[in-house]
Amino acid sequence: MSDLVEQLVHGLTLGSLYAMVATGLALMFGVVRLINFAHGEFYMLGGYAFWYAYAELGLPYPVAGLVAVAAMGVFGLVYERAVIRAILARTWHVQLIATLATSITLTNLAILVFGTQPKEVPTRLSAAILDVGGVRLAWQRLLVLVAAVAIFAGLEWFVRHARFGKAMRAVSQNREACAVVGVDVQQVALATFGISAGLAGAAAALVSPLFNIFPDVGALLTLKAFAAVIVGGFGYVRGAIAAAFLIGIAESLAAGYVSYAYKDAIAFVVMVLVLLVRPQGLFGRRIGI
Amino acid sequence: MALFETRGLTKRFLGVTAVDGVDLTVEAGELVSLIGPNGSGKTTLFNCVTGYLAPDEGRVTFRGRDVTGVAAHRIARLGVGRTFQLVSVFPRLSAIENLLTFLQQHQEESLVGRLVRAPRVRRLEAAAVERARSLLDSVGLAARADVPAGTLSYGQRKLLAFAAALMPDPELLLLDEPAAAINPTMIEQMKAQIRALHRQGKTVVLVEHNMDVVMDISQRVIVLDHGQKIAEGPPEVVRRDPKVVEAYFGR
Amino acid sequence: MRAGRFILGSTALVAVPWIVAAVLPGQQRYVLHVLIFTALYGSLALSYDLVVGHVGSLSLAHPAFFGIGAYTAALLATEAHWPFAAALPAGVGLAALVALAVGVPMFRLTEHSFAMGTLGFAIVTQVVATNWVDFTHGPLCVTGIPKPQVGALRIATLPAFYWMGLATLALVALLYRGLTTFRLGRAFHAVRDNETLAAAASIDPLKYRMLAFVIGGAVAGGVGALYVSYVGVLCPGELTVSLSVNLLVMIFLGGVGTLRGVLVGAAAFTALPEVLRMAPTWRMVIYGLLLLVIVIRAPDGLEGLIRQGSSLGRRPSGV
Repeated sequence: MSDLVEQLVHGLTLGSLYAMVATGLALMFGVVRLINFAHGEFYMLGGYAFWYAYAELGLPYPVAGLVAVAAMGVFGLVYERAVIRAILARTWHVQLIATLATSITLTNLAILVFGTQPKEVPTRLSAAILDVGGVRLAWQRLLVLVAAVAIFAGLEWFVRHARFGKAMRAVSQNREACAVVGVDVQQVALATFGISAGLAGAAAALVSPLFNIFPDVGALLTLKAFAAVIVGGFGYVRGAIAAAFLIGIAESLAAGYVSYAYKDAIAFVVMVLVLLVRPQGLFGRRIGI
Repeated sequence: MALFETRGLTKRFLGVTAVDGVDLTVEAGELVSLIGPNGSGKTTLFNCVTGYLAPDEGRVTFRGRDVTGVAAHRIARLGVGRTFQLVSVFPRLSAIENLLTFLQQHQEESLVGRLVRAPRVRRLEAAAVERARSLLDSVGLAARADVPAGTLSYGQRKLLAFAAALMPDPELLLLDEPAAAINPTMIEQMKAQIRALHRQGKTVVLVEHNMDVVMDISQRVIVLDHGQKIAEGPPEVVRRDPKVVEAYFGR
Repeated sequence: MRAGRFILGSTALVAVPWIVAAVLPGQQRYVLHVLIFTALYGSLALSYDLVVGHVGSLSLAHPAFFGIGAYTAALLATEAHWPFAAALPAGVGLAALVALAVGVPMFRLTEHSFAMGTLGFAIVTQVVATNWVDFTHGPLCVTGIPKPQVGALRIATLPAFYWMGLATLALVALLYRGLTTFRLGRAFHAVRDNETLAAAASIDPLKYRMLAFVIGGAVAGGVGALYVSYVGVLCPGELTVSLSVNLLVMIFLGGVGTLRGVLVGAAAFTALPEVLRMAPTWRMVIYGLLLLVIVIRAPDGLEGLIRQGSSLGRRPSGV
């Protein structure tokens, strides 16, 4: 029984990770209708930024975490300017190939700079174990879940009440109308990328102490996040979050009870099953984030 | 037996009922116009009838055969031709290749058949080219036969799309706004083409906003508003129908 | 005199092993090896271009079909001792069957989802190849794959493999030509350039997408089988996403959708790094950047740039 609970907790941790990454992907798709193939690399680079700040510079955990978020936020802005701007008006083939190419470039650059050996970044919370009635879990896992929920709540508030967040939502619902009314769509797009990348950075700061950082970590993450976005209904953030948790829990249970080796296939299997049965996603086609 | 009919055709999108229980009957050889204010469901109806959208309720029959929800390419193969509201051609192919593309599925030969009966295949190809050239000529594009369709002007592409739809000699032709966005001379040309088709015995249904065209050439006019059929009859009768006037002006 | 040039060119191609031995003595092994790889990659790139360039489906599943053909042939040859003449068709056949099975659900997805779905399939195939150690030997690799023996003919020397590669490339090029011209080519291109209109022209988009996908997958499987018969060893690392990126670079570099363009791209891609002696990681960085620049600046690749240079036929707008 405690085994099952541990698997579920692990599933929630995975779900939190996938949800944070998927939210960024869903935001980008919702606001600018673009699938960013290199999104997993935002997480990977965020992880290395966090490692550098925490392990190399010796900054305290919260500060190192904020450094990772800020670094990725800036990277997201630069990325939007350098790559996305050039492909926004092009066909999705071009967008997909361009972001795929960026993904490969970033991954291999990471290999060149950091090497292929995974970086371990244990923190006090990842080492400290909480024992609840026979169930042992690292405090870090609790932090991940709480922080994820806080982030989603914050994002929800931002998108519904903050002026800029409302602008993002408006653009995702009707881009042309926004342009006519005077919303600076370019700025909104830029900010969306900054926020999405920052989210990935936060995910990295939270989750890296539990799982390691290595150059290839982005590839599978992109796929699973995309699976969550598809299952959740393309560009619908809440749907993506729900789907991400579903995938995380399914993966953890499958790894524990079916086969560890093939756990990475679960996300894909879930995605294909949902698509065959309900191509518009679990929650149906929604307009806007 | 009517050539083409819809019974109770309904299509909904995310809470909006675009087509609402529409009953339509078109007899062979008729020239019918479908009109209505913007958003009344005309193009959605076309798309349901030609297989691009699956209706939520209702039936579509062509020559007595139920074609509700049948895929677009199969309906086209049965002898239904159409043009699109936003003019649609194959931009990288030449004008004549555009037309040939429309005929090839009607001249299918297996690979072995093509090798064995090569002379017959050659004759079929030659006949296809012949037909394509004559159609291009009839729309005035003979000089542009070998030019990539993407380089043609909007009006020329419209004529090309029209000719392409005629290439497989369809019994029923559905034209979506044939007179839109082209100059008056071309409009006259289009009207003449449509009248010529009518004289040949083809059945034509048009969606059109240009009232001059509608009143001038139609035998019968059907009016949609908010997805429902609100009037039907000869042009002069329909134009005076108070419901129609209200739909267009009185809101 | 086109026939004359064709005969001369073909003779020269066949005579390459001797030409190289005469012109670059001592380098013969290396040059032939590069040429064999070029021929195999060229065939693979052509099979991929059928799907991407001619029917417009951005599939990322090609490494999986290459891998299925490779593993089928490798395992049948080493475990069941099947002769090459049987193992090769088995590889092709299985790849075709899997393509058929995967294609049906995949083509119900649109655009991004299709690309992602095929990518997911490729990743799952790699995961299975790596983890099903009992069957595929996983990271331990399948070793000792025998050289092809067809009756009395044994292909064991480099020149022999070169001719096998050349013959394969010629066959694939012929198939490519046949599929992309005349009516079939028109149908493919109609689906690629305007699917809605293609349906109005009675052309079934699904049928033609599946046709290109299955044939492309089958050829990829065949190339996989030939590849393992040459290299002798097969590891799961051969079927990574990088292969898709490599194929994309090849076809976009040279000119997507054209025979000459894809062959040029494959040759440039395979030969160049050998010439430059780049380390694999640096190579991928360069290719990534190169692909990014090419796809943004010149979506038709070199062919497009060349065609823009000569004023033959201005291209209408739209990728």
